[in-house]
Amino acid sequence: MVKPDPHRPRRAATRYAAAVVVVGGAVVVSGCGRQSIISNKSPQAHGITVLWWWMLGVAAIVFAGAVTFMVIGFVKRRTPGMPIFGRHELAAQMLVLVFGIGIPLAVLIPLFGVSDVYLVQQTSAPLPGTTKLTINVIGHQWWWEARYENGRAVTANEIHIPARTRVNVVATTADVIHSFWVPQLNRKIDMIPGQRNRVLLYADHPGKYRGQCSQYCGLQHANMAMYVIAQPPAAFRAWLKHMATRAATPRTAQARAGERLFMNSQCASCHFIGGTPAQGTVGPNLTHLESRSTLAAGTIPNTRRWLADWIHNPQNIKPGVRMPDLGLSWAEVHTIAAYLEELK
Amino acid sequence: MATVIRPRGQQYVDLLDRVWGERKGLVGWLTTTDHKRIGIMYFFTALAFFGAGGVEALLIRTQLFGPNGHVLSPAAYDQIFTMHGVTMIFLFVIPMTTGAFGNYLLPLMIGARDMAFPRMNAVSYWIYLASGIFMYIALAQGHAPNAGWFDYVPLASKTYSPSINIDYYGWGLIFNGIASTATSINFIVTIFKLRAPGMSLNRMPLFCYAFLAVSFALLFALPSLSVAALFLELDRQLGFQFYTASHGGNPLLWQNLFWIFGHPEVYIIILPAFGIATAIIPTFTKRKMIFFPLVALSEILVAFLGFGVWVHHMFTVGYPTATTVYFAAASLIITIPSAIQLFAWIATIMSGTPEFKTPLLFIVGFILFFIIGGLSGVMLAAIPFDQQVHDSYFVIAHFHFVIFGAAVFPILGGMYFWFPKVTGRMYHEGWGQFSFWCTFVGTLVTFFPMHIVGLMGMVRRNYTYPAGLGFSTLNALETVGAFVLAAGLVSIVANLLISYHKGAPAGNDPWEGDTLEWSTTSPPPPYNYPVIPTVTSPYAMWDTADRELDNKRLERGEGVFALGHRTPGSTVQDAEVDELLEMPPHSIWPPVTALALAGVFVMLLLQHYFIALGFAAVIALTLIGWHRHGAQP
Amino acid sequence: MSTVPGGPVDRDTPAGAIHLARQRRAKPNGWWGMVLFLCSEVTIFGTMIATYFYLQFGVHHWPPRGISPEKVAYPSIATGVLLLTTFTMWLAARAAGAGARRTVLLMISLSLLIQGAFFGVQVALMSSDLSRFSPRSTAYGSIYYTLTGTHDAHVLVGCLLGLAVLWFVARRGLTDYWSTATRALALYWYVVNTMAVFVLLTTLSPSL
Repeated sequence: MVKPDPHRPRRAATRYAAAVVVVGGAVVVSGCGRQSIISNKSPQAHGITVLWWWMLGVAAIVFAGAVTFMVIGFVKRRTPGMPIFGRHELAAQMLVLVFGIGIPLAVLIPLFGVSDVYLVQQTSAPLPGTTKLTINVIGHQWWWEARYENGRAVTANEIHIPARTRVNVVATTADVIHSFWVPQLNRKIDMIPGQRNRVLLYADHPGKYRGQCSQYCGLQHANMAMYVIAQPPAAFRAWLKHMATRAATPRTAQARAGERLFMNSQCASCHFIGGTPAQGTVGPNLTHLESRSTLAAGTIPNTRRWLADWIHNPQNIKPGVRMPDLGLSWAEVHTIAAYLEELK
Repeated sequence: MATVIRPRGQQYVDLLDRVWGERKGLVGWLTTTDHKRIGIMYFFTALAFFGAGGVEALLIRTQLFGPNGHVLSPAAYDQIFTMHGVTMIFLFVIPMTTGAFGNYLLPLMIGARDMAFPRMNAVSYWIYLASGIFMYIALAQGHAPNAGWFDYVPLASKTYSPSINIDYYGWGLIFNGIASTATSINFIVTIFKLRAPGMSLNRMPLFCYAFLAVSFALLFALPSLSVAALFLELDRQLGFQFYTASHGGNPLLWQNLFWIFGHPEVYIIILPAFGIATAIIPTFTKRKMIFFPLVALSEILVAFLGFGVWVHHMFTVGYPTATTVYFAAASLIITIPSAIQLFAWIATIMSGTPEFKTPLLFIVGFILFFIIGGLSGVMLAAIPFDQQVHDSYFVIAHFHFVIFGAAVFPILGGMYFWFPKVTGRMYHEGWGQFSFWCTFVGTLVTFFPMHIVGLMGMVRRNYTYPAGLGFSTLNALETVGAFVLAAGLVSIVANLLISYHKGAPAGNDPWEGDTLEWSTTSPPPPYNYPVIPTVTSPYAMWDTADRELDNKRLERGEGVFALGHRTPGSTVQDAEVDELLEMPPHSIWPPVTALALAGVFVMLLLQHYFIALGFAAVIALTLIGWHRHGAQP
Repeated sequence: MSTVPGGPVDRDTPAGAIHLARQRRAKPNGWWGMVLFLCSEVTIFGTMIATYFYLQFGVHHWPPRGISPEKVAYPSIATGVLLLTTFTMWLAARAAGAGARRTVLLMISLSLLIQGAFFGVQVALMSSDLSRFSPRSTAYGSIYYTLTGTHDAHVLVGCLLGLAVLWFVARRGLTDYWSTATRALALYWYVVNTMAVFVLLTTLSPSL
């Protein structure tokens, strides 16, 4: 049958099981946004939610009607005889015409008008010139790259936007098809090679909104989450200004040792840290890693313990991820972690 | 009333028994061209694949019972969920409805002795079996397709899926499609040309209309999939650039070609179920179907309109609004013929004398699930809503209600309904009713909560999910439901298996059915009917005068055609007898041809193209052997 | 309904076959089978032709820069000659219905000559194209070679079918089975020849 994953020694598996409790707790405790369509936090998502409730209501009535008919049939089942051509032929035909053609048309035409003529305009890609900010989000296997102001500020997996502002997200991909979806804010948009798709993000209030890749993109599709963090506009501008700066200089001796180790090992060939020799573009930009609350596209919290585990062997946490087991000792791992923790 | 064989008719029956005697043992099954035997082989093979797909489903549900499960690794999960979809659609539901039910029942329902092309019928089965084994060898080697049943590129391209997994998918689907294409051609010609005298097109049972519609749909839909898979394999194995954006290709080409097949495919899945429902309802309500012509027309319209809506699977790819609106409108229009049929069934039940035996119970379950699945389908035609729930568990809920609830329930009901005819025994009714309720409740508990977790944001094709998002309880419930469902399905199979040995004799017509198959013995003899029936209405068995006329004709030896292996061929529209057709009695060439074809596909998979060409040459030789003596073996 | 047309007739003799062909009102099963099979094949071609234009509308340059558009003359002449076999196969089918065995053999042989020559010309044209551009470098090349290659494969299969029918009509005579096979073969060629025209128009469309 199917071969077991060779990258998982039992010790790591037990550790991973322990991660369940920790991560679950961490997620809950950190008060992360939920991911529900119903808990809409924008005008677009709100419109869709209202549409949903109406559709549910009508659907419930239709279903109840059909069940009623079946119950009538059940109740009348004992009328004896072999009707063959049946009772009430005309009445039954009328029922078919009314419920098979009449009522469907009466329901479907308004549904079409409301959803496919009116509401679809609100959820379509924003017209050029109608948005205040553009963010380029690039899907990778299995993380999100976010580029602001033509690449002056680059981050990963946690996308800040100003609240109550129309934001234009340009969604592209570096490899396979992904799909950008933050349910509380708007519909999803696919990221397709060769195409520049766009979606509007407008958050009614500041908050943290969880999203997830929603087009199957390979082994770790399940662990490709993101957060859209809406901030008051002034706070957002401050954040963006900070993001455009180069990386902080490490202060402690251990951190400086970590920086040297980082630059001299494979890390620098895949990651980008602004103002340093690390100019790799394969993995996420780490210039301001400490400003993020999660690692590995929302899979684990950004704490020293998880960061160390991740650096030590990412394959234990997210098997198949592009970052290899570098064979570092725990001492080396903690040294590098000490450096990365200073990248606020 | 069933055919009564009086003494003077017996001589003709004896003659037919001699001429149509079947070969014994395994050789008999291997070389059979009898549509009933082929139907039975399809049935058991499809049932085995149903079991495999079911085990895959249970593995998925066990992995998803709680957050961060580790029953399956991500790599294993990806193969399992992909094979679940591929198995259920290509190796279970289509072969079960067309191959098993269609093959066994169509000639019987139209009063014929076999299909128009009996040997091609056999080769369809052997090709199907070979293609199923081909796909499962992949799983056995741990290299099963793992990019989902719809296998989007670039994930499925060589760059991102370098191993042989996807090649099993590409070649396997082309291989499997050949069997379905051959079956469709066979069904259409059979329905057009082999109907009993008097069975003009407007007197054909609705079951036959459904299968006619399905066959045309398959014929026109499968090429799109085959071409898409061919392009995929050319890209993967020979470095072509159909789907590569950087070289002028387009990943959306795959999606379009796939869904041009894929959407008609789902109507292909459900139309036979409609056909089974329209066979069971009149029998168990003792009432002719309301609005027969409108229902027949609706069955055909659903198949036809189904070709115009495929982009509704692609509402999130970024097409202009106008495009998506057109396809949403087309998708909404299909609701009408479906609703017409739905309310015709409901009205027939309401105004007849329903007898809620097990087959009708499954049809009632089918109706309820079809309504739920249809309603969620209508919701998905609201573009903004679809753009929220696309690729979430809401969609999984929708299609399982329509595929499982609405396509499989009639299959289960049909199994009970025709069990007496096929085996000559009655099943246990009490146990049948229990098996219905168990399956019904299991289906509801498994799939209904998926609507809710989908709305809560649970994405599909995820090997796990984190805690804290509200998914955990409902997923646990779904898993419990899946095991209840599995128990229900096992109880159905157990009931039928035990009843096969211990059930009471059924007689020819335990249900007072309305279609011709109930006039002959249970099980039918190899030649189906000692006398070819004459028909004057779609409810042939309820025309007692016609059936009595058949008895008299048998005594006179009229319409028996016992000199050789023969059945009459008729004109297309009015079914006037036109000629006598020779039916090949048995042949080794179908399985040999299928084996050679398997050789071609294995060699294509392994990229030994010249050897593949060699096998193709072998096929040319087998076809010569096949046709060498015309219709004789 | 005491007698059935084709009842006492022995369809395995040429005389019986002619008698059956005259009596029969509906088209034979084999004819219907070929028609439906051809529906599937036409859909394959339609899908590939649609793909050609789909890919074309997705890029600016078609053919891509560096690939010169197809020359019009040779492929058009070859297709024109192939179309003659529509007529010769029609004659063969008509002769089959009338039981004229010699005519059938002659017409099928003539058709095979032309079809075989066409296939040879197509192979030569394809080799010449392959020296200019590859199916592996652009989507244009991929669809061009796949579309023309699929048609050429249908021509090859048609030739093999023609050889088989020729052989059996020569050996077994024009029984009903082989008479129907001749008519089915003719249908096959009508469609394949029509597809030749569409494939030609499609692949030459950038040059026109």
